[in-house]
Amino acid sequence: MTEPRVRRVLTAVLSLIAAACGGGSDGANAGNNRIAPPDGANVVGIVVDSGPPGANGAPVGYVNGAFVTVTVCVPGTANCQAIDHVLVDTGSSGLRLLANDGRAGGQLSLPLPPLEDVGKNAVAECFQFIDGFTWGQVQLADVRVGGEMASGIAIQVIGEAAYPVPGPCLGVGNDEDTLEGASGLLANGILGVGLFVQDCGPACAMDPGSGNPGVYFACSSSASGGCVETSLPTEAQVSNPVTRFATDNNGVIVELPPVPASGAPTASGSLVFGIGTRSNNGLGNAVVIPVDDRGTFTTLFPAQGTRYPVSFIDSGSNGIYFLSSAVTGIATCTGSSGIDSFYCPPSPLTLSAANQGAAGTPTVPVSFSIANAKALFDSNNAAFSNLGGQNAGISSLNLPASFDWGLAFFYGRNVFTAIEGAATPGGAGPYFAY
Amino acid sequence: MFAMNPMTTPPAIRKPSLRAWLPALALVTVVSSTPALAALGGDVSSVQKDRARFKASLQLSAATHYSVHELKAPTGTTIREYVTGDGRVFGVTWQGPWRPDLRQLLGPYFADFQQAANAKRTGRNGPLSSRSSRLVIEMSGHPRAFQGRAYVPELVPAGVLEDEIQ
Repeated sequence: MTEPRVRRVLTAVLSLIAAACGGGSDGANAGNNRIAPPDGANVVGIVVDSGPPGANGAPVGYVNGAFVTVTVCVPGTANCQAIDHVLVDTGSSGLRLLANDGRAGGQLSLPLPPLEDVGKNAVAECFQFIDGFTWGQVQLADVRVGGEMASGIAIQVIGEAAYPVPGPCLGVGNDEDTLEGASGLLANGILGVGLFVQDCGPACAMDPGSGNPGVYFACSSSASGGCVETSLPTEAQVSNPVTRFATDNNGVIVELPPVPASGAPTASGSLVFGIGTRSNNGLGNAVVIPVDDRGTFTTLFPAQGTRYPVSFIDSGSNGIYFLSSAVTGIATCTGSSGIDSFYCPPSPLTLSAANQGAAGTPTVPVSFSIANAKALFDSNNAAFSNLGGQNAGISSLNLPASFDWGLAFFYGRNVFTAIEGAATPGGAGPYFAY
Repeated sequence: MFAMNPMTTPPAIRKPSLRAWLPALALVTVVSSTPALAALGGDVSSVQKDRARFKASLQLSAATHYSVHELKAPTGTTIREYVTGDGRVFGVTWQGPWRPDLRQLLGPYFADFQQAANAKRTGRNGPLSSRSSRLVIEMSGHPRAFQGRAYVPELVPAGVLEDEIQ
């Protein structure tokens, strides 16, 4: 069920071509842009394209989505299904797959055993993303990515009609339970390979109402009100699959080649498991940027200027989001709601910032480009190193302004995400490095 | 089925400095035992739902043109509600590892938020930054570190800068 060898070789060749053609063309990204050999057991190919096909056969139109193929199996069996176009997300932890039930429009059709609590109730989850939620049962699977396997781990299955969304979950925002549509995932799943071991962690192991954020539910019936908030021990929660690999389990590297300033219809790279565990995943000249317990560090902008805490690096954000037009002086796009928060400078800008570890060191300069987002979107390309826009937040301790270094930041860099508590040659996680 | 993972270390949630913003606004702070809070656009004296819903402790502050009702939920999330002198909630903010119940907090503006979220094109974790004449709403972060604010422009008292809503 791993990717065919031919495609992997092709991927490598395309990567080299992209590197040769695109290198230096946007002038901003430079550095440790090695792409791991595709034949390592700890490597799986990443493709950046317009996403999986929708109902009409055309791609759903994701911009800057890094996708991999993930295989899930009934635990302990060879009864497996490969799911393509699963979004690589270093901003969350845990595997979530969209069901193939017609309405949801995903691929997962393999029946998996449910996670049950001690009372034999099915466990379901309302997981929070930026403005919405994914709702669905927690099920158990052997998860294979490339040559690695996590045995019998909890994953979330989104879009099954087994249990209606409970009331408290509806308050989170939009129900992201379809491939397409206004609040569609635009992916067949989310592979959360972020800084944390579990998606929720110790808070969800507390009693409901006493600090538990209400992420997990125990479902005794499919009637309305049949699912109630529950606590779940950390070891039973939906977990970062990497932490359950036998080896190469301390973090990941996202490796993407440079892309031209005008973008590219596709880009091919690698998701590499482990940091310093093999010859193909060493830190090299990457600098470690430790994060705090929220997964954030400080960005200085300009490079020796104002400090912006709660910044983060995140392959699940598609652009580089920072500050506001009022602060940066960069024009935003005009047009429909949704595009008017992107930056649309009349000509491309090259900017300098610095990323600083949460405890104050080290300070690592970073150069990046911002181009006219409307022109990028109109090009119908899917891979952009210079897409950016406004971020929320103002310069106050209560609501700090910050940088969200999304996938646009990743091209031409190897970006390391080390998991909390995990030992690596660069010290214990959590940290980012590039 | 579940092996204990030795990497698991319970992260302490770092709380933002409660008082950092107080000097700038020259506020009088009182701790209220009879909270009265409302959803965005609602009447402060009519509802006590939010504190109950969020199981939060409450701190009340007063500025020249408005008062601030700060709730600290046991989940580690801090919510602030900005209330006009005549008792209407014109802005709300939140920061913490998990989001509050936005349906409760945004009240009649929840649908406006949903519409803005549906137009968002910033990817899975990318921010929401939406301005309309009815509602300004901004959200950013990722699981375990969310923040956001929303306000109703026409309800913001004269003389109040939007960045005071924090």
